Amino acid sequence: MLNTTKLKNIVFYADDDTDDLELVQDAFSRYTTNVEVVTAKDGVQALSYLKTIDHYTPAPCLIILDINMPMLGGRDVLKKIKEMPALASVPVVLFTTSSSNLDKEFAKKYDAGFITKPLDISQMQMITELFVEHCSDEIKNNIRKRLQ
Amino acid sequence: MEFEANRQRERIMRMSEFELVPARKQIETLYLEGVYVGKCKTGGYVKLLFQLESFYVEIVYLSYRLAIQKIRCSDSTTILDEYLEQIEIEYLVG
Repeated sequence: MLNTTKLKNIVFYADDDTDDLELVQDAFSRYTTNVEVVTAKDGVQALSYLKTIDHYTPAPCLIILDINMPMLGGRDVLKKIKEMPALASVPVVLFTTSSSNLDKEFAKKYDAGFITKPLDISQMQMITELFVEHCSDEIKNNIRKRLQ
Repeated sequence: MEFEANRQRERIMRMSEFELVPARKQIETLYLEGVYVGKCKTGGYVKLLFQLESFYVEIVYLSYRLAIQKIRCSDSTTILDEYLEQIEIEYLVG
């Protein structure tokens, strides 16, 4: 089941780990006035949502994908996203427990960012900034301006 | 200088050496070089297991990914048992 909160810029996050879903939602809570976090629990659910996006539905400003998910993994979802005209220009970040160079190269090949999941609070505190950094300049400024 | 730094990085770290470095450095090393093995929940704690070189490192959290209770090392594969028990087999066979 997709879970949404009604806010302006949509950050879409797919991960089968409910603890990580909560953690990222909490991390974005400082931007609650202007960021809506939409989540999915696997790759199939993620694609079902993303396929509904057209000219009349607002596209996410950022897509965050876990790599290892049941049904359909983040790599396959990323490949499909790059084939979808409505989403081809949306920044995507692979957010994963992996720190492997192969995964980093895969992300690069598909023009996606790559962030290894944090292990403690000091790394966690930087995560939202790293995510926002992947957004377009306009979105980035909008999100940060409203935070001030 | 750079060659020396690379040579240091390439040197295999032993478990006994890893246990002696400060917790902050242990976390940095795991973040950059650890291979994620799995996650398990037991006794109210969430634990993550990583492989580093030829040994395993387990992080026990008081608060998941935020507050670490302890970091435990082992070179025995018995540390895997708890994690193997919690793998959801239907994902593997489905």
